[in-house]
Amino acid sequence: MIEHAGHLPGLDAQALRWRHTSHAAWGESVTLALPELDEAQATALCESVRNNARARLKRMETARIVDAIDAANARLLDRKHPLRRKAEHLLPIVTGYDRETVRLGLTSYLKTFRRPQLLRFLAEDFANPAVLDGFQPTAKGGFLRAHGPELLLHVWAGNVPALSLWSLVCGLLVKAGSIGKLASAEPLTAGWFANLIAEIDPEIGQCLAIVWWKGGEEAGEAPFLKAADTVMAYGSNTTLTALRAKLPITTRFLPHGHKIGFGMVGHEALDSRKATALARLAAHDVARYEQQGCYSPQMLFVERGGRVSPAEFARYVAQELTAIAHRHPRRELAAAESAAIAGWRSTQATRAMGGAAELIGEPSDPWSVVHVETPEDLSPTGLNRTLKLVAVESLDEVPALVAPYRNFLQTAGIAASPKRLFQLGEELAEIGVTRIAPLGRMTAPEAGWHHDGRFSLLDLVTVTEIEQSTEAASEGFAPYVD
Amino acid sequence: MTVVTQAEIVEALLAFIALPDAMEAEFEAMALKVFAWQFRHNEPYKRFALQRGRTPLTVKRWRDIPAVPITAFKDLTLSCTPPEQATHVFMTSGTTQGVRGRSYHPTLDVWKRSMLVNFRKRFMRGRERIHMGILFPDETALPNSSLAHYLGLARRECGTPDSEVFIGANGLELDKLFAVLAEAEASGEPYALLGASYSFVPVLDALAASGRRFALPEGSLILDTGGFKGQSRELTPDEFYDGLEAAFGVPRASCINMYGMTELSSQLYDDGNAVSHPVKSGPHWIRSRVVDPLTGIDLPEGQRGVIVHHDLAHFNSVSAILTEDAGEIVPGGFKLFGRVDGEASKGCSVAVAEFLAAARG
Repeated sequence: MIEHAGHLPGLDAQALRWRHTSHAAWGESVTLALPELDEAQATALCESVRNNARARLKRMETARIVDAIDAANARLLDRKHPLRRKAEHLLPIVTGYDRETVRLGLTSYLKTFRRPQLLRFLAEDFANPAVLDGFQPTAKGGFLRAHGPELLLHVWAGNVPALSLWSLVCGLLVKAGSIGKLASAEPLTAGWFANLIAEIDPEIGQCLAIVWWKGGEEAGEAPFLKAADTVMAYGSNTTLTALRAKLPITTRFLPHGHKIGFGMVGHEALDSRKATALARLAAHDVARYEQQGCYSPQMLFVERGGRVSPAEFARYVAQELTAIAHRHPRRELAAAESAAIAGWRSTQATRAMGGAAELIGEPSDPWSVVHVETPEDLSPTGLNRTLKLVAVESLDEVPALVAPYRNFLQTAGIAASPKRLFQLGEELAEIGVTRIAPLGRMTAPEAGWHHDGRFSLLDLVTVTEIEQSTEAASEGFAPYVD
Repeated sequence: MTVVTQAEIVEALLAFIALPDAMEAEFEAMALKVFAWQFRHNEPYKRFALQRGRTPLTVKRWRDIPAVPITAFKDLTLSCTPPEQATHVFMTSGTTQGVRGRSYHPTLDVWKRSMLVNFRKRFMRGRERIHMGILFPDETALPNSSLAHYLGLARRECGTPDSEVFIGANGLELDKLFAVLAEAEASGEPYALLGASYSFVPVLDALAASGRRFALPEGSLILDTGGFKGQSRELTPDEFYDGLEAAFGVPRASCINMYGMTELSSQLYDDGNAVSHPVKSGPHWIRSRVVDPLTGIDLPEGQRGVIVHHDLAHFNSVSAILTEDAGEIVPGGFKLFGRVDGEASKGCSVAVAEFLAAARG
């Protein structure tokens, strides 16, 4: 069986060139066909999405778009729906994540795109979401209207299942004609979602396309980069820098670079009862998506002074990682991924030789935990269930240890008392942390999350103001003027 | 019998190197002796071995001697004698993080013997001396470079008196080099050009730019080592050796690549680069394995993994070293496939390489 990726309204699938890629994991394999558009096809597609968005999407009420997304989402949440079944079957083979991780991850993630949550998205960014449908009075006087871009290009990256839906949904909510470039490591969900939308509301389906080109390949990307008004892109700083250099200066560029997550555990969370449960939650955050998410923790700072010492807590986490590995086996690693872990372990083993670190677990274990007793700066691990725990005298030391890496900061997981949560929150906000979550929820942002501290919808729109005096002035030209 | 003093282990090693060859059992016996020495005198290595439950009492096979990751030479002082007693400290060129790996040598006797015996066999191939040109600074300019010492020793012991170094205070001396090459070409006497791989690149570029090429006499040789390390543009093996053959008239089969490192006291060679990725091997006092990087378990022939060297000549430090080089065991030795690079994340989490790049600014 060959699974065709993408959503290409108006293009004849027979006339397209398809690149076949094979994926294998968990004893099964699948061949995917990714569309490779030539310049004329790409240009025509951009033109038609833009024109359709102008003629249709822009004239729709937001409520109708919310309905369509909600309905598409409901089908993907329905475990009996054929597409959901296909997703549960194919995504583990393509991404390598185990079936349960994919199933649980999909459900928890898709729940953020149901109608009430979509309304929350809108309410998060707009005091009055009706500005998306027409001019609305503003508090300062006058009227305001918000428009999404006519053509929004998403450039997705990474293998985290369905991650693309976040920006795709945001684009649709602001009525942007949307073209998404699939990530080679997860080139399925966005296309399926777009096809569902097209089935539910064909008019919206015409304003949306899901494409693919080989990352960085000039010929494939040029027509899209030229046509888009706004580009939302995910990837490493190298990828993003290269991409930005190719965009016209008038194009709005919204980059989301790679990030590193970390956790903080206060002494008050470390009594013998709470610490076990907390270790399980921390291990869950580490194992979910194999630390491939920008929100995944790579380091935990653990405070001394609790009943359970940082060294003991490290062992608890190691135990929980062992337990999780039974239920959710680690993905099979590529050679380079093994090398990354081995390299990181080597460095830690070296430090252990000097007596400065304790390396828990055997190299053959599907996880690695390192514990150090002296404070050290935030740093990435080897990923794929490799975690470093750093003992600190007080959590107050942590902001200084992470502050130098401001550009890579995003999510911090905190286990501390309410009072300290807000104290630490203040300090973390100041140094560039944009999301604070409890341990166990680090990989599951809430609906309406401000990704990288930005406004998911507001960043996409351009507003038009009718100043108060304009309205007053126009009175003079009314047919009923006295 | 265990060795007690440094003089004893040096003597035992010199005798071992002098053997015509060593069978598995002989290598094993010597390897265990060296391991016992290093376990006793090298504190960080002892800790490393203990953490793995590998001690001279439990280790019975040379393959079980614990291999230290090569990064350890950057962070730790791995020496059986106090480092201040070292007559020579060789340092890596500091390729990754600005921190340089160090090897301490309280004597160069074993290092030199290891180098010469093997160099004569693998490069000189029965010749007493050859006219050499060296494309690398000498050991006065780079006292901490093991390669500078290696090439210096080669020139003194195996080069004719008129052999010369073509890198001076002002860099590569191209005009002088080309003049000597032209003389060598006319003389009919074989000539040998030796240097870092990246030193050859500007020479190739200069020759290409002027449209000039040499046809060195039959029997001439080229030795390159170390790859490009960001010091020159990167060439594929085929581009590089085709380039050498075209520029100097030395067939690829006579272009030998030496594979060595600061963290070893012996070198490994191929027998020419007629094809890319030729088989490499070392002398009987070094044995190489290919392991799974995560588990450290030996991989079967033909399967790609990370190379481990057990170099008995590196007696004062650690003999068993887990490199960052990818390789495959094949009949007669192993194939080398460059560095094993850790991959960026498949998702949107930042991985080590990107983080370090940013931290360096």
